Amino acid sequence: MITAERKPLDEIIAMISPYKKVLVAGCGSCVAECVAGGEKEVGLLASALRMDARMTTRELETREITLERQCVYEFIDQLTGLIDQYDAVLSLACGAGVQAVAEVFPNIPILPALNTSFLGQTKEAGLWLENCRGCGDCRLHLFADICPVTRCAKQIFNGPCGGSQEGQCEVNPDTPCAWDLIITRLEERGQLDLLEEVYAPADWSKKQGAGPRKIIREDQQN
Amino acid sequence: MNKEKIELTVAVFFCQQLDPDQDGNRRVIEKELGPRIKFFPLPCSGRIEPLHFLRAFESGADLVFLITCPEKACRYQQGNVRAGKRIAYAQKLIEEIGLDPERLKLIMASPPLPKRIDLLTRDLLAEAPIKGHSLLGRL
Repeated sequence: MITAERKPLDEIIAMISPYKKVLVAGCGSCVAECVAGGEKEVGLLASALRMDARMTTRELETREITLERQCVYEFIDQLTGLIDQYDAVLSLACGAGVQAVAEVFPNIPILPALNTSFLGQTKEAGLWLENCRGCGDCRLHLFADICPVTRCAKQIFNGPCGGSQEGQCEVNPDTPCAWDLIITRLEERGQLDLLEEVYAPADWSKKQGAGPRKIIREDQQN
Repeated sequence: MNKEKIELTVAVFFCQQLDPDQDGNRRVIEKELGPRIKFFPLPCSGRIEPLHFLRAFESGADLVFLITCPEKACRYQQGNVRAGKRIAYAQKLIEEIGLDPERLKLIMASPPLPKRIDLLTRDLLAEAPIKGHSLLGRL
């Protein structure tokens, strides 16, 4: 999932300051899971903004809404007929959601309330870890489903580097060494022979240098 | 009771496990202070969400208390621990909008249980630092 964190309140207040009627829109998918942009967070932020406006004697009217997803047209369409009543939308979606809503409603400012962070997993309640860099050249099957590009501080395909201590990374001792995890799991699976191979560097041309990426599936198109 | 403190609008969230007779006991003080005090009984303090506190302030509360069971006495093990973390988060939020975080207080009741919620509240009101009305309360 895509993770995100709320921007500092001062920054959000400055963004909405030119507007009197603001629609505060959450997203019920990834950012709800990482407790940044779901229904509860929409309520918290809208309440804080209303109180701030009252204390600074600024006029502000808000309405709260949470779409199931802000990155899919079918859900964005729920804003049709509602969005026109507001001067701006304060979106608690990831950057993709903000842009998708703006594309459907290009004449209304869609303001980002979150800083989009990384692709990750919910490790435990209140803890999210980055584990995918979206490199476009996935080789997880070779590394016991542990990504050395994302989870190794040195991003090496032919590890380990030799610097880890007691299974912890030498760069960040709070982080488990990805190569320690890879080797342990390969050993458990009886697949240590996969490490006999010398792996070529990642093909970064699949990620960078060609502008925004796209995925086309003709079988899914209308 | 100090007059200034009585005039503040106070919201009290509390764990029902503290006082089996809370329904009757809190009415004593509700009758006395009228709309200036509002009680919100919770099945466990761990049920609290930061949004509850913000809504209380937004509705004009000058002081908000959350009263939990004593340390290690939560019927659901972790409820009061979680409540403590959530109140800390809410304190940061209200500080961001310029409200004094001291207006939101976590009170962990001392053993033994049960306690009378009306007596606990009287103690709180007597001991609460005088803050005056919050700007929200005045507007």
